[in-house]
Amino acid sequence: MKSNKFVVIVLLPIFVLTGIFLIAPLFYGLGVSLFDYNPVRMRNPFIGLENYRQLLSDAVFKKAVRNTLVFVTVTVALNIVFTLFISTILVDLPWRGWKNFFRTIFFIPCIAPLVTSAVVWNRGILITQDGLMNALLKFLRLPPVNWLGDQKIVMASIILFTLWADFGYNTVLFCSGLEGIPRDFLEAAEMDGANALYKFMKIRLPLLGRTFVFVVMMTIISYFQMMVQFMILVAKGGVNYSGTTLAYYVYKTGFIDKNMGYASAVATILFILIFVMSMIQRRLNRVDWEY
Amino acid sequence: MKRRKMMDKAKVAILLVFACFVLVPYVWMIMTSLKTSKDYLMHASSLWPRAWTLDGYRKVFAGSPFIQWFINSLLVTGSVTTIVIITSTLSGFVFAKYQFRGKELWFAVILATMMVPSEVTMIPNFLIILKLGLYNKLAALIIPKMVRMFGVFLCRQAIEDIPDSLCEAAKMDGAGDFMIYFRIILPNLKPTISSLGIFTALATWNDYLNPLIMLNDVDRMTLPIAMNYFANQYVADMGATMAAATLMTLPMLILFLLFQRRFIEGSTLSGIK
Repeated sequence: MKSNKFVVIVLLPIFVLTGIFLIAPLFYGLGVSLFDYNPVRMRNPFIGLENYRQLLSDAVFKKAVRNTLVFVTVTVALNIVFTLFISTILVDLPWRGWKNFFRTIFFIPCIAPLVTSAVVWNRGILITQDGLMNALLKFLRLPPVNWLGDQKIVMASIILFTLWADFGYNTVLFCSGLEGIPRDFLEAAEMDGANALYKFMKIRLPLLGRTFVFVVMMTIISYFQMMVQFMILVAKGGVNYSGTTLAYYVYKTGFIDKNMGYASAVATILFILIFVMSMIQRRLNRVDWEY
Repeated sequence: MKRRKMMDKAKVAILLVFACFVLVPYVWMIMTSLKTSKDYLMHASSLWPRAWTLDGYRKVFAGSPFIQWFINSLLVTGSVTTIVIITSTLSGFVFAKYQFRGKELWFAVILATMMVPSEVTMIPNFLIILKLGLYNKLAALIIPKMVRMFGVFLCRQAIEDIPDSLCEAAKMDGAGDFMIYFRIILPNLKPTISSLGIFTALATWNDYLNPLIMLNDVDRMTLPIAMNYFANQYVADMGATMAAATLMTLPMLILFLLFQRRFIEGSTLSGIK
C-alpha cells in the first residue's frame, strides 16, 4: 500500500525517540569520553585521548577486564553444559505433566526480580554466619566458607548465583530446539543399540546446530552486561576489587566517583567487546546449519 | 522396557533434586518473613518458624512507602508496556504493508540499534535525561523506553503474515489507514501482542539499573531499587526484609503461574533478557 502521510505520521515520532534515546547516546558517550567530565562541575576541559591512555595504566580497569572475561567464560561454559544436560533429560521424559512441572519450577528465578533474589542470597544463603550454604557444609562436616568476603571465592559465589538464577532460560530454549529434532533419527540409533551419550554427541548436538550457536552467543552477550548481582551480592565492588566487572566499573567511575569522561571510555571498551561478539554471532547465523 | 521405566524414574528423581535447589531460597524467604526476630536469631537456618507472625509485613507497610513504590512500579510498567505495544504494532504495520523511499535503510537502522546494551549508554542517557529536566521524575523511566526496536522487528514479521488481500479489500470498502490498523491488523496480532507485552512488562518491572541512575527521592522509587534501599534500612530486621522481598516477588510469581505458557514464550522470544 502507499500513503506517505500515514508513514510519516507513524515513523516520525518513532525515529525522533530512537534518535534521542538510542542513536545520540552512542555518539554522545564517545564524545564525553574525550573530556574530563563531571556533571556537577562548570568547566569540563577537552583532553583528547587522555582517558583512554589512563585506562592502560589503571590496575583496577585491568582487573575488571580480567574479572569480566573470567565471569563470562566460566559462567557461560557451566551454564551451557548444565542446561544441555537438564534439557536432554527433560525432553526425554514420557510424562507431559512432569515436563511442564519442571519447566515451570526452573523458570521461576527468570521471572522473579533479580534484585530480590540477590538480596535473599546475600542475606540468607551465602552469608557466613547462619547462611544456608554454610549450614549445609556443617551438615556435611566441612568447615564454613566466607562466600562473599573472601576475595578468592567471591567470583565463584557470584557464578553460582548466576547459574541458579538463569539456567531455566537456556533450558527452555534448548528444550524447544531438541523437540524439533525428528524422532526417527533417535529411534534409528536406538535400534542400533546406541547409548545415551552416543545419541547426544552424534545426533542431538550436531542437529541442534543453529539453536546451539544462537543460545551460546546470546548468553555471552548478555553476561557481558550482567550487573545487578555484582552490586547486591558484593559491597563496593568487593574486597580488592574482586567483584568488579567492566559494567560495574562504568557505574562506579561514572556515578559514584562522578568521573563521567573516564567512565565513558570504559563504556566504549565494553561496547567494542559486545559489538565484536554480536558481529561473530551474525556471521555464524548466516552459516547454513540445516540438515 | 522395564529398564527404561527405571531410567525415567531416576531422571525424575534427579530433576526433583534440582527443583528443590531452585525453590529453597524462595521457601527460606517466605518462611523467614513469617518469623519473629528472636526466632530468627536463635534458629536462623531452620526453615520452619517456631512462632508465626505477620510483624514483618506490618513493618513494611507502616515503616516504608511500600504502597507508593508499588504504584510507581505499576505506573511505569503499565505505561511503558502499553506504549511499546502501540509504537511496535504501528511501525511494524508501516514496515510490513507500505511502500516508501528508503524503507529497507530505515529498517536497517532499527536492526542496528537493537543490539546496543543499556550498560554502554547509561552515562549519555543519564546526561540527556538531566538536560531534558526529567531527572528524578518517573517520566525518565517511561519516555526513553517508549520505542523497543525488538518490538518493531517482531511486529513487522507477524504483520507480513497477514494476507495483503485483507488490507486491500478493506481499503476498497473505503477504510482509512488507521481503520485498517484497528480492524484488520490488531485483531490478527493477539499472540504477538501478548508475548511482546509480557516481555516488555517483565523487563520493565524487574529493571534495576535505570531507576537506580534516574531517580533520587525515596518516594519515587520503583520496587527493585526500593528493595535494596529497604534491605539496607532494615539490615538488622531479617523478618521485615524478607517480608518486603516476598511482597515484591509475589505479584510476578502469581501472574507467571497463571499464564506460564505465555510467560515462557514471551520472555524467551528474543533470546536476550
